[in-house]
Amino acid sequence: MAVTDRAAPVRGLTLADAWRSFRTAIGLGWAIESNWSDPFLFAIYTVAKPLAAALILVVMVQVITQGQATEFLQFMIVGSALWNVVFGVMGGLVQSILEDRERYRMMKYVVVTPSSLFPFLLGRSLARVIVSFVAVALTLLIGVVFLGVELRPNLLYLVPATLIGVLGVIAIGVFMAGWCLQLRQEAWSYPEAIAGALYLVSGAIFPIDILPSVVHPLAYASPTTWWLEASRRGLLGHGSPGSIGQLSDGQVMLFLVISVAIAVPIALSLFAWFMHRARESGLLDMTTGS
Amino acid sequence: MNRYGSLTARTAREAAEWSTGRVIRANLRAVVGRAYPRVIGLTREPSWVFFEILLPFLAVSAFVFVYRALEAPEEFIGFVVLGGAMTAFWLNVVWMMAAQFYWEKDQGNLELYFTAPMHLMSILAGMAIGGLVMTSSRALAVIGIGSVLYGVTYQIEQPLLLALVFLLTMIPLYGMGMLFASLFLLWGREAFHLAQLLQEPIYFLGGVNFPLGALRSFGPLIGVVMSTLPLGVGLDAMRQLAFRDMTGVLPVGVEMAILVAMGIVFIIGARLALGYLEHLARKEGRLTLRWQ
Repeated sequence: MAVTDRAAPVRGLTLADAWRSFRTAIGLGWAIESNWSDPFLFAIYTVAKPLAAALILVVMVQVITQGQATEFLQFMIVGSALWNVVFGVMGGLVQSILEDRERYRMMKYVVVTPSSLFPFLLGRSLARVIVSFVAVALTLLIGVVFLGVELRPNLLYLVPATLIGVLGVIAIGVFMAGWCLQLRQEAWSYPEAIAGALYLVSGAIFPIDILPSVVHPLAYASPTTWWLEASRRGLLGHGSPGSIGQLSDGQVMLFLVISVAIAVPIALSLFAWFMHRARESGLLDMTTGS
Repeated sequence: MNRYGSLTARTAREAAEWSTGRVIRANLRAVVGRAYPRVIGLTREPSWVFFEILLPFLAVSAFVFVYRALEAPEEFIGFVVLGGAMTAFWLNVVWMMAAQFYWEKDQGNLELYFTAPMHLMSILAGMAIGGLVMTSSRALAVIGIGSVLYGVTYQIEQPLLLALVFLLTMIPLYGMGMLFASLFLLWGREAFHLAQLLQEPIYFLGGVNFPLGALRSFGPLIGVVMSTLPLGVGLDAMRQLAFRDMTGVLPVGVEMAILVAMGIVFIIGARLALGYLEHLARKEGRLTLRWQ
């Protein structure tokens, strides 16, 4: 009898398996993210950073306009608040995969389990994503209470824009996670660098028209640009200053859907290829000491 | 040299009694030894240079475009570029001074520092000097690229005074890093969160992207900044010396005096905190446990 005949047939990954991995990874991610710290202190850490980032912009606007540019302030507050999600998703996915490989050295064990890495990775990074949504809510709250931001939410527009937009951001994060697995050094810095570059081109805190024209194609190709614009319309009831604000709500939603529909399959394919390459090249248990 | 590493000592006890000169030489070697990897890292790890210039530069660019969108006077672009360069030093203080002992503990180096025949202040001084040299190259690159790309013009009438203010800023800044190095270690797992907490909130309080005087609208906050935050005080003084039309919170001379006082307080504070840390290390032994 051939040796292989003795092996029990291995069933594929079921939805229940994926759900169990996802659920377990959420608990693990939360414990690691909060670093077992005091909940009160953790709340302060979570809130202080995004609030300070928004306050910097507020003071900049106040210094120049003496409180006259209310519309621009609203544009900035919403953009600054929503950008926490981009940092949360990208940072969460990349840090999770790198921490598990470099610091806790668990990546290879997760990969060899019958479960898939993908639901584990999503669950593991969810804590940071949730924290980022808390930061969004708090920044908007401060904007409304103290800075005169007038929210006129249109849920029929905002909810689909958020779901589709966050899907696009997750796609970028998944691509980044796979990419960072290939890098020998400084992989930790990539999410910050890429998120910083996207922050610059996506019209998060200033209109895209201010950018040099050579950067405009990049800005219009990024799902984050359309997500921010659609979210502003869903939250404030009007678009951004500048040319992108001239588009109709339907056009903005269409561009968001198209950019995300392109980004998601590309990101998933590249992630699968990166994982394949990582297995072949022995990168899953590589430690760079960085 | 005999088996005790000495030319004259005949017993282990004699060999252990070091002259003042030998103590000083050993500590100076420790300073140089700890500064060495940071200085040599400039050439050994070019990817660091890329990221440490790119990341502050991206942030600077975002704020420059905000001012452009607001049609702000041109000197505000200069404020942002100068502030962006100074954030490189602040990031170095937070991640490579304050959080450093915590990483060293994780890597198992801290216990070697405690047992080595030199003072921990020498290690901190080495980290500060190495970090200062390393970060200066990044800060100069941010200023150079930012100034050329965004057309910043400086009106520096007293370059030597500006250099002196910069040095006076660095002493309390790195002194603060030395103090935080001990405190971060005592606070254990909170170190990562604390390092995060010391970024955007400090950029706001330090007026990195706007004139510090704008904080006057926040009531007593400006007084707290002027008495505790060398980044804010130093930046305000440097902007007054680099841009003619800039009105500072206080005259440059007064801000220099504040920086001197801060330098003394932070370095003495660091010395006291290190003493307490060493006491804990010997008494409880928990400072050698990883991830605690």
